[in-house]
Amino acid sequence: MSRRSHLALGWLWFKGRVRLMARTPRTTFFTFVFPLILLVLLNALNDSKVEVLGGRIRFAQFFTPSVAIFAMTTATYTAIIFGVATAREQGVLKRVRGTPLPMSVFLGSWLASAVLTGIVSVVGMFAVAIPVFGVHVYPDLLPAAVVTLLLGGVAISAIGLAVASFVKRADGAPIVANLTLFPLLFVSGVFYPIESEPEWLQRIARFFPLSHLVQAFDACFSPFTTGSGFSARDLAALAVWGAIGTIVAVRRFAREALDEESGHSGRRLWEPTTVKHSTARRSS
Amino acid sequence: MSTAEALGQVQAAGTGGRRRMSSPLEHGRNRPTDPPIDRWPEATAGGDPRRMTSNGSVEEAIVVRGLHKRYDDVAAVAGIDLTIARGEVFAILGPNGAGKTTTMEILEGYRRRSSGDVRVLGVDPESGGRALRERIGIVAQESGVGQDFTVRETIELFSAAYPDPLPADDAVELVGLEDALDARVRALSGGQRRRLDLALAVAGNPELLFLDEPTTGFDPSARRRSWVLIENLRALGKTIVLTTHYMDEAQNLADRAAVLARGRIVAEGPPESLAGRENGTAVIRFRVPAGLEPRALPLVGIELETDHDRYVSVRTEHPTGILWLLLDWASRRGEELEGLTVTRPTLEDVYLALTAEGRE
Repeated sequence: MSRRSHLALGWLWFKGRVRLMARTPRTTFFTFVFPLILLVLLNALNDSKVEVLGGRIRFAQFFTPSVAIFAMTTATYTAIIFGVATAREQGVLKRVRGTPLPMSVFLGSWLASAVLTGIVSVVGMFAVAIPVFGVHVYPDLLPAAVVTLLLGGVAISAIGLAVASFVKRADGAPIVANLTLFPLLFVSGVFYPIESEPEWLQRIARFFPLSHLVQAFDACFSPFTTGSGFSARDLAALAVWGAIGTIVAVRRFAREALDEESGHSGRRLWEPTTVKHSTARRSS
Repeated sequence: MSTAEALGQVQAAGTGGRRRMSSPLEHGRNRPTDPPIDRWPEATAGGDPRRMTSNGSVEEAIVVRGLHKRYDDVAAVAGIDLTIARGEVFAILGPNGAGKTTTMEILEGYRRRSSGDVRVLGVDPESGGRALRERIGIVAQESGVGQDFTVRETIELFSAAYPDPLPADDAVELVGLEDALDARVRALSGGQRRRLDLALAVAGNPELLFLDEPTTGFDPSARRRSWVLIENLRALGKTIVLTTHYMDEAQNLADRAAVLARGRIVAEGPPESLAGRENGTAVIRFRVPAGLEPRALPLVGIELETDHDRYVSVRTEHPTGILWLLLDWASRRGEELEGLTVTRPTLEDVYLALTAEGRE
């Protein structure tokens, strides 16, 4: 007879989401297999050393953490935009709004499960790269790596939620997710060291959060990194981006609560009220 | 809406002459938290204690006064007054575009109203928040659930947010979905999906249920089963507001019904007397006994419509007198009037007449 706390509800939904992801093969493919193929192919094709992170290091030592961030990004940012857009189109968000389940708990547990998938995916990358490509992990830098990965995962998920709040139709989700993510992947130092880019491109790249996540995480696997490996400036940038994403997402999803929902597909378009409504929404 | 306008509408509603199961305006509300309702002249403190629920809230489940909803310049809802008592099953009927779903969604808290006063379980649904949603259950026309959860997972996840939910096993049993308890949502048929919607609405054990076309897409037996469910929910004292296109559904389930056309209520009352059904033109129909001409009947001066197979019918506002003549005549002669029926306009007839202008 008592009301469950947000945390208890969130934990229940988090467990449900984790079960759900384990049984959705499509998600598994994109989050685990695709980055793994990239990891194996590019590491196998490229045995040279690269100038990055304060010295010359083996390509695999640079590329493995970078592609791990790519895996984290697809598990969080991309998956959330796809998932939330689909959920909206199928009326799941509308359903949640009609129940006492707080939208923040519903989306927050989604975010947490996405970050967990990302972490599993990252661990998987290293599980392959350490024995196969001789990638080194430095125990002193591991705490920094874990913190960076967690903060980055949460920040990028929050941005994903903010972006998803603007995606009204499921078929728009791949376009929005890929168009925003792919250019950034290329300029943010995932595939090439960011230092090799022209100055102007670096400046653009460093504005966005992805380059900060890649830089901060890569540094945790560089033999030239001194100290604990925490990149304060990059982490601060990620925190700011994460906060912006959270604020935008919270505001957008709260405002959607009344009168913006229910425009999803399958709505009876011959009902004048509905047609009128969707027109009003587009023009606003 | 100003208090004066509210009063005007209350009085108009009070003198409207439509028959109602109860006239809630005459009963007491003494909660100072509901100013517009509290100031109504009919409201007197105290009253019948049975009309107050255990937590002291008002007897009305839903009170709507002067509700308008405009989209740009189109009025989807153009002035609705509605009072639904606790424990009542209320049907909202009307053609597509009449404003049924808009009205439901305003009551459910999904949409903002343009003007008017709305109270659902004593609170404004626009600002009721989690506390109100713990007390209501919704079957919307289209609202999904994750495709890869099982039925049990879906029910348990959603009902966890309610303070006093039903176990998933009970919820599926209520709607006849026991066999699909461990099936994934993706694998359910259309009718099973709709039953899951119903199960989700009842699993929270709410006081008030909104069912927007709950049986659309059901086969006849599933429809009958859901009627039994709704009867059971009524027996538990739940208030149910439903929309439907099936007149037999309204006839069988609803204590009262309102017919919406072009955003207005054009008729309201118990289904059996809606829009004067019980006093409308009756049709007496029977077979003329063999070997007789219709002229031989004792109905001098009364217009007879002849039908195939020696059937005749009489349309009349006064069926009792005509029946007396007919039955007296027949029993004296020892004739049997085969196929004798007396019919009133069906709910569907009344509905079609009421909504005809709206269809064009």
